[in-house]
Amino acid sequence: MGNPERLVGAEVANLAAAIERAAADLAMTEEPAGFTVALEGEDEAGEPRE
Amino acid sequence: MSDWTIATLARAIAARKISPVEATQEHLARIERLDGRIRAFITVDAEGALATARALEAELVAGRSRGPLHGVPLAHKDLCHVPGLPTSCGTLTREYFTSPFECTAVARLREAGAVMLGKLNMAELAMGPFGDNAHHGDVQNPRREGHCAGGSSSGSAAAVAAGFALAALGSDTGGSIRLPAACCGVVGLKPTYGRVSRAGAMPLSWSLDHLGPLTRTVADAATVLGIIAGYDPRDATSSRRGVPYYERTLETPIAGLRVGVAENYYFDGITDEMAGAVHAALRAIEGLGAVVTQVRLPDPQPLVDVSNVISRSESATIHSRVLRDRPHELQAAVRARLDTGFHISAHDYLQALRLRGRFTRAFVREVFGEVDLLVLPVIPEPAPALEAVKAGTADEIVARMGRFSRLTRPFNGLGLPALALPCGALSDSRPLALQIVGRPFDEATVLRLGHAYQRG
Repeated sequence: MGNPERLVGAEVANLAAAIERAAADLAMTEEPAGFTVALEGEDEAGEPRE
Repeated sequence: MSDWTIATLARAIAARKISPVEATQEHLARIERLDGRIRAFITVDAEGALATARALEAELVAGRSRGPLHGVPLAHKDLCHVPGLPTSCGTLTREYFTSPFECTAVARLREAGAVMLGKLNMAELAMGPFGDNAHHGDVQNPRREGHCAGGSSSGSAAAVAAGFALAALGSDTGGSIRLPAACCGVVGLKPTYGRVSRAGAMPLSWSLDHLGPLTRTVADAATVLGIIAGYDPRDATSSRRGVPYYERTLETPIAGLRVGVAENYYFDGITDEMAGAVHAALRAIEGLGAVVTQVRLPDPQPLVDVSNVISRSESATIHSRVLRDRPHELQAAVRARLDTGFHISAHDYLQALRLRGRFTRAFVREVFGEVDLLVLPVIPEPAPALEAVKAGTADEIVARMGRFSRLTRPFNGLGLPALALPCGALSDSRPLALQIVGRPFDEATVLRLGHAYQRG
């Protein structure tokens, strides 16, 4: 498995760098629950069963 | 027996051509005869299944039917809590997961008249796309022995493909319903995030986990989804939206539906056979009246990074006890993946959750402003040989896992409904498959296209 500590460190560093790049222009109004709003914001599809 | 679908068996039961007890006995006999080789089951509950079948038969004699699942034999991934049966989650620990209440999806199927045959094999802790398991045996692909069944819901796909059960529940955090469905030549549906309650099922990543059905036909997937979907107060993420009558819209013609085919990423590096089969399916879909157009999709890599930060953090939190107390029990690749989560900062985790909403809004707006559905490959190559995927160091295996699931993972991050279904096979019987992706909560249109294509 080589050097596991080095590999974990590299993976975490890569992920952290990717997050930093993507989040550079995140507005303060963006919050974690924004994902649910993005899904539920669509018009309801289909005929309701209930 | 292996030619049954839910629809045909339900009709035969309703017409008294076969009884629930006979159907259950025949499926149990098939499991007894073939599962020593396929290894789809971890626990077979023959006694419980026959007792349920007898009770359902008595109801029929008394003139009561619970509907299209009355007396239909099913089985479920061994991460669904079923009172009275152990839930190993594919680990060495017989009762790894328990819950104060029955898995909601299982309970809804039981109340709808299903007979549960047992609990199905899976990748350890649902962490692996190939279906190998060092503790319970590698699940063999029923279409081609010695090859992967796909994972992590390996037993669910193999059981349906082998004719052991008419449908099975699976879970999908990065492709774990769609990958095995594609490898085994069956149908697998990952519904929209929040469409199906995960209560009573082992979590791997709260933000990315989905439960859904694996079936032989798209119509059967619609039937099962209609039963398991809907609000559940036991799952804080379950949606309060009403559940459509999916079966009613299956036959609506697809003429005029706008179908997008990705011009970037999703066909990069996949085998010629797989690309050819998906393009042939697109021509067939076009022949049915859909309008097929090329679309450029947002680069999925930032979304995949965000999903990896979320899944690594959450899975390490959820499974920290076994990782800290009994790491030697875990397969090396599972241990390696879990361990990363301990080193991700809270800052990065929260940023990832915030980014996910932005990516999802942008994808829905940009892509579904142009088309109604996407048709894409599911797996980059047909089911690989089991020995080949297990070779190498843990890091090599983890990298291989990432490559094999790279076409499914984006839709867990986006939470969109995605259906895998067969679109042919190689001359050695290994299936080829496509994936249909739709708008949030628009499973009805996804299923409609899948059904139209499957029926031809």
